[in-house]
Amino acid sequence: MATDWAGDNLVRFPGGGGGEPEDMADDNTIMVQRTLRSGQSLQFEGNVVILGDVNPGAEVVATGNVVVMGSLRGVVHAGAEGDSNAAVYAFRLQPTQLRIANRITRAPDGEQSFSTTPEVARIRDGMVVIESFQTGPDRQG
Amino acid sequence: MGEVIVITSGKGGVGKTTTSANLGAGLASAGSRVCLIDADIGLRNLDVVMGLENRIVYDLVDVTSGNCSFRKALIKDKRFDKLFLMPAAQTKDKTAVNPAQMEVLCNEIKDDFDYVLIDCPAGIEQGFRNAIAGADQAIVVTTPEVSAVRDADRIIGLLEKEDLREPKLIVNRMRHQMVKHGDMMSIDDIIEILAIDLLGVVPEDELVVVSTNRGEMVVLNNNSKSGQAYRNIVRRIRGEDVPMMSLEDSGLFGKLRRIIGLK
Repeated sequence: MATDWAGDNLVRFPGGGGGEPEDMADDNTIMVQRTLRSGQSLQFEGNVVILGDVNPGAEVVATGNVVVMGSLRGVVHAGAEGDSNAAVYAFRLQPTQLRIANRITRAPDGEQSFSTTPEVARIRDGMVVIESFQTGPDRQG
Repeated sequence: MGEVIVITSGKGGVGKTTTSANLGAGLASAGSRVCLIDADIGLRNLDVVMGLENRIVYDLVDVTSGNCSFRKALIKDKRFDKLFLMPAAQTKDKTAVNPAQMEVLCNEIKDDFDYVLIDCPAGIEQGFRNAIAGADQAIVVTTPEVSAVRDADRIIGLLEKEDLREPKLIVNRMRHQMVKHGDMMSIDDIIEILAIDLLGVVPEDELVVVSTNRGEMVVLNNNSKSGQAYRNIVRRIRGEDVPMMSLEDSGLFGKLRRIIGLK
């Protein structure tokens, strides 16, 4: 259920239909309208949307999905209670460490090249895979 | 059973973390088993300086609060099999740990290592008290500045009160040219005030900044003067008798100038 600050007019995605992400619609979602700086930690039961950056040294832990409308450079943990369908979306996906459910990954040592387009990280076949994020009917969720 | 050595200074920015990382790497490359503990909870840096930030899963606070064993939190260095890091927590503060817990932790860890180096936070408050709680020895880092030496003096007094007697001194960022022109405190000036044993002098070196920013340690660079200074300090810690390095110009012109008496 999407959190509605006014208390009524709850926005719901139709379950199962229209290709909307069902699990995103069914959980609580919090919207954070600032940048998380080093030492700041956000923990939430549900999905997290951040309208800002997540800097190195900051962490986001969510039981659902994490969406960062900015640069994700800190530590992120989606599906923190074991939901391996959870995903991490970011405009610039450059995390120090990326965790989904019980998987922990980090960028390889040495030269690092990051995409400058939005990307999504999710578990496929037991591995964390990072792909460029695309909307539309061919998007796989 | 190993020695627990706290690296402290009082003042910030004099090079405690850089010194910790370099001494740790130097001791490990000399064959000792070394554990570095980052006691700067909330402002951790040692992991970044060592290039190990992205490996952190558990930290010091997880260990002291009983969430995991200390072995689980230790991160093995990329370069040395004998070098380990216990990272600080970044999202907590100094009050998340107390001196009694640190003492227990140090006693537990030092059975597994030859040296346990604790990177102390700046200041004289709880972070400092946590860092020194489990230490057997202390190294005081200072720079040739009146303010840093004043703080080092204060720290030495506090260490003595905690029964950490005979701390050793490292003078960091020494610029020989400035001392020669009378613009900077000399080693003798500093020793006169602090009156403790000198463990080493590290010259100002741009390579320190370069390597720190890359997550590397200058002690491993054979072509750098600061690296040589750190290697000498490592040998002294390991019990060797190493003469103090000359910080004079070592180039041809320096030698020429000395020969013709233009020093």
